[in-house]
Amino acid sequence: MGGAGAPPPPPPRRRGRRSLRELEEQTEVGQVFLRALMRRQLRLSCAIAASFMGLLGVQPLLAALWPRYGRLQLLGLPLAWLVLGVGSYPVMVALGFLYVRRAEQIDDEFSDLLG
Amino acid sequence: MTPSLAAVAGLTAMAALSLWAGVLARRRGHTTSDLMVAARAVRPHFNAAAISGEYLSAASFLGIAGLVMQFGYDVLWYPVCYAAGYLLLLLFIAGPLRRFGAYTIPDFAEGRFDSPRFRRLAVGLVLVIGLFYTLPQMKAAGLTVQAASGLPYGVGIGVVTVVVVSAVISGGMRGITLVQGFQFAVKLFAITVPIFALLAVLGGPQTLLREAGRQPLPRLPQATTFSVRPGELWVLPAADAVRASSPIAARWLGRPPTALRSQAPSGFVGTPTSALPPAGSGRALTVRGRMVLPAGRILWQGSGTVRLARGAPVPFGDATPPSSTARWLQPFGPLAGGSGHPLLFTYSLIMAILLGTIGLPHILVRFYTNPDARAARRTALLVLVLLGGFYLWPPLYGLIGRLRAPQLYTSNLTDAVVLVLPRQVPPPWLGQLLSAVIAAGAFAAFASTLSGLLVSLAGALGHDIYGRWWHPEAGPRARRRAFRVGAALAALVAAGLGLLVAPFDISILVGWAFAIAASSFFPLLVLGLWWRRLTLPAAAIGVAVGGGCATGAIVTTMVAAGAPPLQAFLARHSELAVVLAQPAVVTVPLAFLCMVAISLARPRPPAAVGAKMLQMHAPERLGLRRDYIPN
Repeated sequence: MGGAGAPPPPPPRRRGRRSLRELEEQTEVGQVFLRALMRRQLRLSCAIAASFMGLLGVQPLLAALWPRYGRLQLLGLPLAWLVLGVGSYPVMVALGFLYVRRAEQIDDEFSDLLG
Repeated sequence: MTPSLAAVAGLTAMAALSLWAGVLARRRGHTTSDLMVAARAVRPHFNAAAISGEYLSAASFLGIAGLVMQFGYDVLWYPVCYAAGYLLLLLFIAGPLRRFGAYTIPDFAEGRFDSPRFRRLAVGLVLVIGLFYTLPQMKAAGLTVQAASGLPYGVGIGVVTVVVVSAVISGGMRGITLVQGFQFAVKLFAITVPIFALLAVLGGPQTLLREAGRQPLPRLPQATTFSVRPGELWVLPAADAVRASSPIAARWLGRPPTALRSQAPSGFVGTPTSALPPAGSGRALTVRGRMVLPAGRILWQGSGTVRLARGAPVPFGDATPPSSTARWLQPFGPLAGGSGHPLLFTYSLIMAILLGTIGLPHILVRFYTNPDARAARRTALLVLVLLGGFYLWPPLYGLIGRLRAPQLYTSNLTDAVVLVLPRQVPPPWLGQLLSAVIAAGAFAAFASTLSGLLVSLAGALGHDIYGRWWHPEAGPRARRRAFRVGAALAALVAAGLGLLVAPFDISILVGWAFAIAASSFFPLLVLGLWWRRLTLPAAAIGVAVGGGCATGAIVTTMVAAGAPPLQAFLARHSELAVVLAQPAVVTVPLAFLCMVAISLARPRPPAAVGAKMLQMHAPERLGLRRDYIPN
């Protein structure tokens, strides 16, 4: 995460770009740009949230429908404990990492398009 | 529990450190905003450590292990969802909220809807959630001081209140920030080092689980003497040979309920079953000399000491339903399974904790200390890494506790398992050293969360209630004084209530604060940041209905613990009991429904919503950024 904390350089403001002005003055076109950006970001967030909640939410269901799940063992340790109590953390970190990379990409593409 | 000089030394060292940081921060010049928000532009890695330091409360440090020891597998949802709450915060909140520049939830409520009246509602709810969240920290303070020094529970609460309030009053947020990152390191060190020592002595998790598998019921690892008092209840899952010091009167109340389903509802939400059978019921019994106590519930009526041999099945107190090891190890054990509606209970618990993190009043402030949205997202990601590294360990303490410190079941002190276990590491000097480390970690846990909460509560009391409504003309000096008085007042109320919550489990209390936050502030933030058509009346009604229903449900559950008729009614309507004890599954969708339905029915988007959305979502690089800064 090197250099993440450095304060951003003073943003180059190129007044000449029409689309940026449209965004700032909230014209119809500017609103369309902004809505498109928000929709892309929200879709990304929802996709990642849904996949995590799916992985989490399926475990109680699995235990309810297939009671043997609670008795399975892996290397002498209960599988259900490993999946929930150990496996969850790397999954959430990996999903978080994917999200941060993709969200920054979307922001950058938007800035490149307008700035 | 015997006092330990080393543990007292560990506690004293952490207390001195907190006070010193406060004094240090006081020497530098400070303004009101220094008291409430630390300077901005903090690096993500330090900020992440500070956030994690503040977030890892007593519920994480002591409560999870205690609850795992009581209930087994089902409790794993707590640590996993505590950490995963930050994933949701990262996905939906961190970036846009930082760009908006609101650093408390009331700021956001006011700024998004230009409504000072909505701000008041938010301030009120911040006070409710903050207070609910301080209670378990107070309990942990009393318990830790009690376990270390043998002083009574109330004394611990008093001492810790004085230390934390002094630190907050002298240093404010700035002083706390100095130590918070360091406190994360203390907590991580304090939870990992003793567990590695314990595993080295007792064998790895496989060995421990094999040992647990050989004991269908927890058995005493060594001969143990219990002192009993009149009114104490023992549940013996099997007959026990005992030796009494002197004849002790008792009553035998019959066998424990075989199906946990028939248990009173408070039994599975972690509240004590205070409803004792009417006097004179059961069979009178005098325990004298060597004798065999029959399996069943025993109500002690005299006091004295009772000795149980090594390997005897452990008598359970009234806080933990006895469960076989197989049941304890599997999903839907005594916690979720005991509720009678395991899926409903589990999903509601997941929802409360996953979504509640975002609505906690002291969490969002920290994201404001990031320079921009990019740094805010990276901070949240780093917090996830740090929390994941921490939450791996507390459940192991619960497992070891079941094997090595089962006498805590009898005394209803499972919350102290993390504090008690390290003393068992030989040789004695090492055990003492480790218990000093763990006591210091526990202090860091409740002190850092308590001070973060006190800053939020004092900010709400001093900045909003005093500075905006009561004396809007007050100068900065008067405002600083109001902040300090607010901190002292909030601490005093919390300490008073803390004395009352001794019988409740730490993690259960924390879970309730999360449920209220999830039902009110979570929908407000998500819809407010992402949905431009959300209107002011819809948001206000949603927050009031969601937060109000959740609070009402939880208060009903707490009252039911002491009101037998209500308890009996809930025992007959177990779905209702589950929903009242874990309301999130109903109240979160209810709040969302209110907000969406009312916004659509009477479309009246607030003025300038386009400009606000632009501010929240346009990347900083475009150079459009203007902070929304409250006065």
